[in-house]
Amino acid sequence: MRKRDYLKAFLLDLFLWSYSILVCHKVIYEKIILEVRYPKFSWTQPLLALAAGTALALPLFLPRSFSLGKRIMGIYPGDQGRPLLREPYGLFSVFFLIITFWAGLHFSQVSVKEFFSESGMEGARKIFASLFQPNFSILGESLFAAIETIYMAFIATALALPPAFFLSFFSARNLMAQNKVLSWTYLVLRFILNVTRAIEPLIWAIIFSVWVGIGPFAGMLALCLHSVSSLAKLYSEQIENIDEGPLEAMTATGAHPVQVVWFGVVPQIVLPFLSYTIYRWDINVRMATVIGLVGGGGIGTLLMQYQGLGKWNEVGLIVIIIALIVWAMDYASAKIREAIK
Amino acid sequence: MLKIENLNKIYPNGCQALKNVAFDVKKGEFLVIIGLSGSGKSTLLRCINKIHEPTSGRIIFGGKDITTLKGKHLREARSEIGMVFQHFNLIPRRTVLTNVMAGNLARMGIMRSLMGLYSEGEKNSTREKIKIVGLDGKEDVRADNLSGGQQQRVAIARALMQNPSLLLADEPVASLDPATSHSVMRYLEKINKEMGITVICNLHFLSLVRQYASRVIALKAGEMVFEGSPSQIDEQWFKRIYGEDAMEVTIH
Repeated sequence: MRKRDYLKAFLLDLFLWSYSILVCHKVIYEKIILEVRYPKFSWTQPLLALAAGTALALPLFLPRSFSLGKRIMGIYPGDQGRPLLREPYGLFSVFFLIITFWAGLHFSQVSVKEFFSESGMEGARKIFASLFQPNFSILGESLFAAIETIYMAFIATALALPPAFFLSFFSARNLMAQNKVLSWTYLVLRFILNVTRAIEPLIWAIIFSVWVGIGPFAGMLALCLHSVSSLAKLYSEQIENIDEGPLEAMTATGAHPVQVVWFGVVPQIVLPFLSYTIYRWDINVRMATVIGLVGGGGIGTLLMQYQGLGKWNEVGLIVIIIALIVWAMDYASAKIREAIK
Repeated sequence: MLKIENLNKIYPNGCQALKNVAFDVKKGEFLVIIGLSGSGKSTLLRCINKIHEPTSGRIIFGGKDITTLKGKHLREARSEIGMVFQHFNLIPRRTVLTNVMAGNLARMGIMRSLMGLYSEGEKNSTREKIKIVGLDGKEDVRADNLSGGQQQRVAIARALMQNPSLLLADEPVASLDPATSHSVMRYLEKINKEMGITVICNLHFLSLVRQYASRVIALKAGEMVFEGSPSQIDEQWFKRIYGEDAMEVTIH
């Protein structure tokens, strides 16, 4: 175990040093000295940096207090109340942070000149001005789209609830650790849930809008799928945190496992589940507007249409309505969750 | 009625909680198990109804070897053994009636129990059990709104609902105050003497042991170090069970 910690610490050092050499080369040498505007990617540079990083990391790994990797892996005996920057590895970590910040500016193509360019500011001023003069003639249309969004989010949440409830019991470690079959079900299910959750609803919406056509149905399906995996995860964590006592007591009466779960687990989780579900509806309303941008229907799609036409006064009204909905949902869900605590 | 033979329990982390424990329990006994925290008392009780799987050894209950039982047969055996716990382990947010009714789950169909469709007979028998522990009138109160002592009495009623021939009590009064402790112990004594239910009970306080036990077993680091009547535990035995530095604390 100890050996493996040393290996991990060294690999960490190796990565950090190679990384800083690569970044320094790219940013300081190519950008500032050679003034390359659009640097190209090639595999030779990272490989060379890795070699140079090894040469640097090896000697710095051995002396005391020089290895950040050893500090992170807990090989050094913690900090003894001394300021971080006293130790060499403290200085190194600040150095790594600084070059990362620097590289970040470079890769984001941050440019003060463009931010304050005259033509750009003029365009932005026009848009802001029209945003503050919303066009109320499309009020009916946008309210209708907003209602579509809210209902879409509600149905996505409601349809996600039963499968998430069902799956949560099978993805709760404490209930599934009883035998091999259950443990494997747990692992497989957790994996599937993690993958579906890792794919953003925005991407699901693109997939479903190809599948069932652009519109609220596609958006609803995307939200629903993502909600199932998110809720199942939240629910199962709640199940993992229950008091095991009632569970034990139910088992001791000779009850069937289904009865044990129903009487020992469910009464403890109903309220937290409800609270999570309402919160999820809140999140889904917000996501539904974003999903509308890629063709998921509702007020997001409407926003996209007017933005494409450059009708900024109409966009202004839609933005105000979205802000109001998000605020109202946020407030309502917080109040309801407080009430059922 | 209960025979424990060479019982061993080794937890997955390698800790040996029970070492060759063997004893007999006769019908109608009030057997008390004493010992320090971590001496294996709770593990022993949980092996008897197989909430914990024993590593080796045999448990013979009512003439049947229950060590190898699984599934339906294990649940049937468990339903004949009631159990009460230190932290009561009632179903939160449910009424006293539902909690006591839960003792009958093993005899109810699964669907019927999930839907909460209880027959009049079952309801009457539940009320009867609630009356035995002196909680009549509290049937529709939420169990988590009761005091500790009352919650433990609900737990006793739930165990009685199983019509058990054996009752396991794991530190039933360890989280109660002294006065309430005696009240709960008296209910255990009552069901032992009047209803003839055999009781095996883990206890901390020797004063309670002397008052209620008909026989005592002491565990030390998973091994049985004493077996006899409560009056036999003198100062010498006390120090052997609890260690040289121990002092006896009494509760009245």
